[in-house]
Amino acid sequence: MNSMGARLAYRLLLRLHPASFQHEFGADMLWIFDEEQQQGSTVYLFFDGVRSLVRQRCRPQKDPGQLSIASGTIITSPGIGMFRLFQGGLLCLAIFLSLGQILRHPNPFSPSIKWSNRMSCYTITLQAPSHAEVVLNPLP
Amino acid sequence: MKPASAKSAPLSSATLQILLALAGGNLHGYGIIKEVTRNSDGHYRLGPGTLYDNLKKLMDAGLVADAATFSSSKRKQLSSKEDDRRFYTLTKDGKNALAAEVDRLQSVVREAKLRLQEARTGKA
Repeated sequence: MNSMGARLAYRLLLRLHPASFQHEFGADMLWIFDEEQQQGSTVYLFFDGVRSLVRQRCRPQKDPGQLSIASGTIITSPGIGMFRLFQGGLLCLAIFLSLGQILRHPNPFSPSIKWSNRMSCYTITLQAPSHAEVVLNPLP
Repeated sequence: MKPASAKSAPLSSATLQILLALAGGNLHGYGIIKEVTRNSDGHYRLGPGTLYDNLKKLMDAGLVADAATFSSSKRKQLSSKEDDRRFYTLTKDGKNALAAEVDRLQSVVREAKLRLQEARTGKA
């Protein structure tokens, strides 16, 4: 493998690392690769790179990354990967489907408001799916 | 990895070598690799993947930090390529962790010498 090919292969190896690690140390690692390439053998660097990749990918990430949506554009931090985006997409889909189901059906709650003479307060009763009562403070 | 656990638990050889290299002064990644090779007479070769993986852990534990400033004499020694690089420094916790590890290793050596001496006298 010529030097350009080796450099390209090492860059690809770095690209497989988690985004946060790549962002933090990728440039320096490539610089070290270039320096070592001038000195001689780079085979051990590939072994080291693969070992580092396995360690980084197997280790649970403490920082799940930040996701913010501004002006309709999803902005992700370097720490957020494709897997997290996929998880987020599934979650959004589940939320939208649930909302769709709720909006399709009429209001499942049938509230009734009654004045209770005994307790001298209004009683709001929500019936279905489960019975619930909310007791308001007595009116002045 | 927390500083407290780093003080009590034995450090890995890569971690120890990195801390030892940084004990001599602030270095960038490649500087650490060269220093480790020099310290071990070429017997221990640290790759950039192992280096930065350990550096990340050490930084998370607060044993190593980014070196923000240098003396003007140090900056003159650096080439333009090195000047752009990120430098690392040993923190106070890092120095304590290294000192604790050296103490631990000293006690291991002391114990080993004692046992070897006993073995020799037992044979004789």
